Amino acid sequence: MNKYVTYLPWTVLALAALFLASKVMPASEPRDGFHLSEFGLLPMVDRGRIQPIDTKARTALMVISGKQTFVDAKGNTQPAIRWFLDALATRSEGGGPALEHKVFRIENDQVLSLLGLEPRSGFRYSLAEIRPRAAEFYAQAQRARGVDPKKRDLYDNKLVELAQHLEVFLEVSQWHFLSVPVAAKDEQWLSVRDAVQSPHKVSQAIAQIQLELVDAYAGNDPTAFNKMLKTYADYLDREIPVNVGTARFETFFNHFAPFYQSAVLYAFVFVLGCSFWLGWREDVRRSAFWLGCLALAVHSWALFARMYIQGRPPVTNLYSSAVFIGWGCVIVGLILEYIYRNGFGVVVASATGGLTLIVAHYLSLGGDTMEMMQAVLDTNFWLATHVTCITLGYTACFVAGFLGIFYILGSVLTPWLHNDLRQSLIKMIYGVICFAMLLSFTGTVLGGIWADQSWGRFWGWDPKENGALLIVIWNALILHARWGGMIKQRGLANLAIAGNIVTAWSWFGVNMLGVGLHSYGFMAGALRWLLVFDISQLAIIAVGLTPLERWRSLAQVPQDKPTAPPKGPSQSLQPKAVPTAS
Amino acid sequence: MSTVMPQSATPASPSAREEPRRRPSHLRTALEALASLRVTVVLFVLAFILVFYGTWAQVDAGIWTVVNDYFRAAVVWIPLKVVFFHAFDIPGALPYPGGWLLGGILLANLLAAHAIRFRVDWKRSGILLIHSGLVVMMLSELITGLYAIEGRMTIVEKQSSNFVEHDRHAELAVVDVTDPKREHVVAVSSTSLADGKVLRDLPLPFAIEVIRYMPNSDVFDLEHAEIYFSARKKGMPDNPADAGLGLRSIAIEKSITTGTDTEQRIELPSAYVRILDKDGKSLGTFLLSTYFGFLNEVPDEIRHDGKSYRLSLRFERSYRPYTIQLEEFRHDVYVGTTTPKNYSSDVRIIDPETGENRPVKISMNNPLRYRGETFYQSALHPFAKGTVLQVVRNPGWLMPYISCAMVTIGMLIHFGLHLTSFLRRRFAP
Repeated sequence: MNKYVTYLPWTVLALAALFLASKVMPASEPRDGFHLSEFGLLPMVDRGRIQPIDTKARTALMVISGKQTFVDAKGNTQPAIRWFLDALATRSEGGGPALEHKVFRIENDQVLSLLGLEPRSGFRYSLAEIRPRAAEFYAQAQRARGVDPKKRDLYDNKLVELAQHLEVFLEVSQWHFLSVPVAAKDEQWLSVRDAVQSPHKVSQAIAQIQLELVDAYAGNDPTAFNKMLKTYADYLDREIPVNVGTARFETFFNHFAPFYQSAVLYAFVFVLGCSFWLGWREDVRRSAFWLGCLALAVHSWALFARMYIQGRPPVTNLYSSAVFIGWGCVIVGLILEYIYRNGFGVVVASATGGLTLIVAHYLSLGGDTMEMMQAVLDTNFWLATHVTCITLGYTACFVAGFLGIFYILGSVLTPWLHNDLRQSLIKMIYGVICFAMLLSFTGTVLGGIWADQSWGRFWGWDPKENGALLIVIWNALILHARWGGMIKQRGLANLAIAGNIVTAWSWFGVNMLGVGLHSYGFMAGALRWLLVFDISQLAIIAVGLTPLERWRSLAQVPQDKPTAPPKGPSQSLQPKAVPTAS
Repeated sequence: MSTVMPQSATPASPSAREEPRRRPSHLRTALEALASLRVTVVLFVLAFILVFYGTWAQVDAGIWTVVNDYFRAAVVWIPLKVVFFHAFDIPGALPYPGGWLLGGILLANLLAAHAIRFRVDWKRSGILLIHSGLVVMMLSELITGLYAIEGRMTIVEKQSSNFVEHDRHAELAVVDVTDPKREHVVAVSSTSLADGKVLRDLPLPFAIEVIRYMPNSDVFDLEHAEIYFSARKKGMPDNPADAGLGLRSIAIEKSITTGTDTEQRIELPSAYVRILDKDGKSLGTFLLSTYFGFLNEVPDEIRHDGKSYRLSLRFERSYRPYTIQLEEFRHDVYVGTTTPKNYSSDVRIIDPETGENRPVKISMNNPLRYRGETFYQSALHPFAKGTVLQVVRNPGWLMPYISCAMVTIGMLIHFGLHLTSFLRRRFAP
């Protein structure tokens, strides 16, 4: 074996570690001397949670532009906190650099033509560009808002969406957010606007300092700004010691963006896993496996960091469910890889891990992902275990489904899936479905128990419960059909792929039924993606239904294949394997 | 393959082949047909479709309508509109086996399978436990469907209550209050109230004409309603009332709460009724609404033939031999939002029969179980400082807990056995 290739896993890990280290490094303070990151640490309240201003700046910019940074007029990439300060410095008479920042993402061509704008790459526009036709836009947006949310078309939705984005900007630029504590104990916060007229002397003073802070920024006076910042932090500490405990950690978390970094790593794992199949060496597979483990470590760290910041169990909303499902998928995939060593585990782990993190990214466009929950969703043993179990159940279903896709596409379209590989794939699918059954059933019933504890109703047949029940029935159906000999390998794989549709429906589709609240923005787009996903799965099933004599992997006897990937120990274990698939 | 699929070697019903070929009895043949795994799988498919459409139906129907029509019925008529996912508005409906029927056959299928293949050994103990747990679960849903009673107790702070209201059943009540010591009540269920219907055969000296019945409504003060409608550039709806509370309030029909609504709301029925004496002369047109009950408004009163009657539309009530008094209601929100952080009710149970008089704290996820009923913190009083408690009597409430434990342990045994044997062979030297 080539000496250099032996070191491949270590080289890959070292490169990945360097990559991560570069992301952990704190950003250098800007050249103009403002201590922006110190400013980002100041506490405020949003969606019921005390958080550093940095988080608010990032989520607000994320909602408006879909990114946490922006490109200024000079072409430099700038952090969200810069945009936030510029927005704060916007004067009512309408000056200031915030108007020139191209941050509003508008991709709908009808909305663009309403505003008299040309589509451009990136689809991001500044307020100054929107302003000339703002009156017409508001008239249209007002009309769209009057339309019943269930009857709005895409254009209406996009109008409402942009109007909401403009409101997010206004909330910041008009100082409507809550940044002034009143008293440490009674958890009351005011916006600067209200605090200026408040009878509380301390709050008034805090509001005044904040205004002067931004004045110093607007006047381009870094020395005054930094001094004022120090004064404010000390004053706050002395007068109202707000518990910001995790603020520094949270800004680090924001800066590191660990979910994003692990998604990047998963992409590399995926590439390595696929190249292993294309005939590369065992070292490539091992590199993929260990890189996968590193990515999982980052992913896990991020998951626990979120729990630490929020003080809640891992799954609190759709966003965190995506993150958690991805995490579970990766663990299952890596365990399968450890057992079977045939490359499927890493590819499934990286594909599902990466995809769910992308889904999570789009879900985070809705705003702060660590919002507080309704009272009934407050931490409770049954709820926490229910949500954890059920999301792990979703996880297992997806893993089984993706393995099914490999089985079908691999055997029909490529000559590489020889008999032993197919056998072990089927065993993996079967085992994972058993897990899915266990987890989704237990999770569903635990949900019932929680409902019984909080509403006195074990089972209410409401859409979300029905979604969970559908998964349970589907898994039971697959297992019983298998035990009854009604389906064999091909059937198992196809039903597992159909399980992807069922699971996606329970996870997202059910939320889309309850239009109204959810029809806005993301969910309407998500429906389209859900349909695309469903159709793609059906297409793969259709491929799986082609006659067996067309399957390229079945066309030849395994031993005749020179291009077969190197055999792991798994292949010696199936002496009595029967060379049929159906 | 492995022991993971014990029956995969022989197709449909393995036990039939294992036994020597004697002539099986008719009973046994029938049992075997019933016990087939094919039947199980077909039933799963049917159940899957039922649950799927039972979810779609909730887009435009209330959750209880769906539960009663789809899941607690032998046959359901699924509207074609629902079949095509509300994409086309086609009249008509398809018959489909409902929850009772499918559950029943599934239960029979399961019991038959175990009757035929029953044998006790360690390998099958997991399956046995899972399936027994499922039987318990199905029975619990049956018991809940047949016997569970849900209601609501609404108490304003510092006041007390001794009755539970059943909000799925409203009633039109006419109370004879001539004699202050004895009330005489005539009640008509809301199911027999329909627009234009005249109720003549009541044991009352007058008839009641239902002008308009609204299963769910908003009630506004007239002044507010004018502002509300002029702001929306709509004309004021007509107000048929010419007496009583209807002179200062107006009811506007609202769509019923569907199962997919993201907010759980309480439905508030209202009705406009005209009271007609024997000659058909109007004694007044009144607005009756369950909304007034929430506000503790004194119901409208009419005098006829020297007697006094109080008219109201109220939720059906059932009285308890004890009283629950609300001492304090707390409702915290997250700072800077309207998202509730927690609700809790400090109540006192006063029970003359048992002599109990004790304080209890009811909060989210911490219900009070008392005399076979469970009181849950459900919501805050919609119009005053007070609490809404969900009151449930379900004789089968413990069964899901037992079932859950049985099935989970069963699955752990079953899959665990196979996993260990699989891993042992996989990593065998």
